[in-house]
Amino acid sequence: MTLAAPIAPVLAVLALLALPLVATNQFYLHLAITVLMWTLLGAAWNLLGGFAGQVSFGHAAFFGIGAYTTMILYLKLGLAPWYGMALGGLVGALAALPIGLICFRLRGPYFSLSTLAVAEIVRLVALNWEELTNGPVGLLITTLPPVGLPGRPLNWESKVPFYYLGAGLVVGAMVATDRLARSRLGAYLLAIREDEDAAESIGIDTVRAKVVTLALSAFFTGLGGGFYGVYFRYVDPDAVFPIALSVEMVFIAVVGGLATVGGPVIGAVFLVTLGELFRERFLVGHLIFYGLFMMLAIRYLPEGIWGGARRALAARR
Amino acid sequence: MPLLEVAELTRDFGGLRAVAGLSFAVEPGEILGLIGPNGAGKTTVFNLITGFLRPTTGRILLEGVSLVGLRPHAVTRRGVARTFQIVKPFPRLSVRENATLAAFLRHPARPAAEAAAQRVLAEVGLGAKLEGPASDLTLAEQKRLEMARALATRPKLLLLDEPMGGLTPREVEDASALVQRISAAGLTIILVEHVMKAIMRISNRVVVIHHGEKIADGPPDQVVRDPAVIAAYLGARPA
Repeated sequence: MTLAAPIAPVLAVLALLALPLVATNQFYLHLAITVLMWTLLGAAWNLLGGFAGQVSFGHAAFFGIGAYTTMILYLKLGLAPWYGMALGGLVGALAALPIGLICFRLRGPYFSLSTLAVAEIVRLVALNWEELTNGPVGLLITTLPPVGLPGRPLNWESKVPFYYLGAGLVVGAMVATDRLARSRLGAYLLAIREDEDAAESIGIDTVRAKVVTLALSAFFTGLGGGFYGVYFRYVDPDAVFPIALSVEMVFIAVVGGLATVGGPVIGAVFLVTLGELFRERFLVGHLIFYGLFMMLAIRYLPEGIWGGARRALAARR
Repeated sequence: MPLLEVAELTRDFGGLRAVAGLSFAVEPGEILGLIGPNGAGKTTVFNLITGFLRPTTGRILLEGVSLVGLRPHAVTRRGVARTFQIVKPFPRLSVRENATLAAFLRHPARPAAEAAAQRVLAEVGLGAKLEGPASDLTLAEQKRLEMARALATRPKLLLLDEPMGGLTPREVEDASALVQRISAAGLTIILVEHVMKAIMRISNRVVVIHHGEKIADGPPDQVVRDPAVIAAYLGARPA
């Protein structure tokens, strides 16, 4: 361990805190908030996909469940979205338990396909359960409840509070990733990633380890969904349950670096800015370039940008 | 009471009866050789005992308590550990971590698990290779690593699935000596093996299965002369 190890996170947090003071332009702030949200989602997916090697293509289900939980609790019961977001995470985690017990009966690509199916089922339920979700019309928040630090009510028309909220969630997800990496469960997940039968044979309850991790991953994904709802103040099934959303989470974790704490940040920064850049440059067909970049990244940086950089640094020492 | 008792064990795969009414017992401290021609059902028997497969019918008792219906990790917790015919190391993890993961079963704290892992790795002769990834080991070393991993779960009964398969004669010698050392330390062992010289020398007793049925059960020197066993391996003498 070098001295840089404890200092780096502190510097990162300071930079995170200072950014809104520098970037006063609303567009950049919005971009930063988008990056934070995708970092949170990439980090959440990484808990299961990176450590345990279980590739879920259905995390949009937990994102949408979190978003809808937050919105419904506020609009129907008047529960402030700050509590709603936390509950969105919890409902996402609860939903993960039966989903995990069903999908983890399958392995490898069959597991991945089953998660894709589950996400589609959840999307269709949200689309058709109109009494609860308003169906395709979606749910709209017009005003957010006042929240204030003593004597200083927060201005919800500004983006700054959302920036700090998102930053807090990202730090939470990264701390959770770090804790997981150091824990016995984290070690078990790596064993499962390497060889599931061998893991079982040495006494690891692989189903339990995977279900617990899926629930943890779904919790942070649900928080991300709640955050999305509050920030954009509008959700509908196409916005929060699309397959593209699940796939984007996979990309961010893979491009950034699987099973790393910092990888999802890199992945999110790269893909969000790249996505914007391509969108601006190539009005038609920007997704082609985006896809091309993804293929190059997976071909030449199998360990992700973070993993590749770490390896390059280690080789130079 | 035998340590392990298998009674009327049967397993069907669709129309194929891989194990057919097999019964045998293993006494504490024994090295039992389980042999038979290719496809006889030896590995299936291991998979049934360790919970990787469920029996179609039959009983499996460890110290009188049934193991049927337990998932593999629960069987390991009860004290039955196994190795795999085709080795299954955790390839990208270090040799030390491979064994530490198994030691967690009895030592939940990492330092204690690592210490236990180091002991079993030294026992199987991998004490000098702790830090490299398991994928860098030779086949003989990977088989030893599997044994270390199994030992780290502190089993009462150890099932070894071809620990000598694919090894050079010299490596077979070393592996035989290792199995005998483990046995001398008080473990009961069931050994599936094709290397006859080794199995005849180190087993106390040999069970021969053919088409999933037991055709012989006795001391090694007696079993090799059994006409049914000779017929199973070489084909029946033309009348």
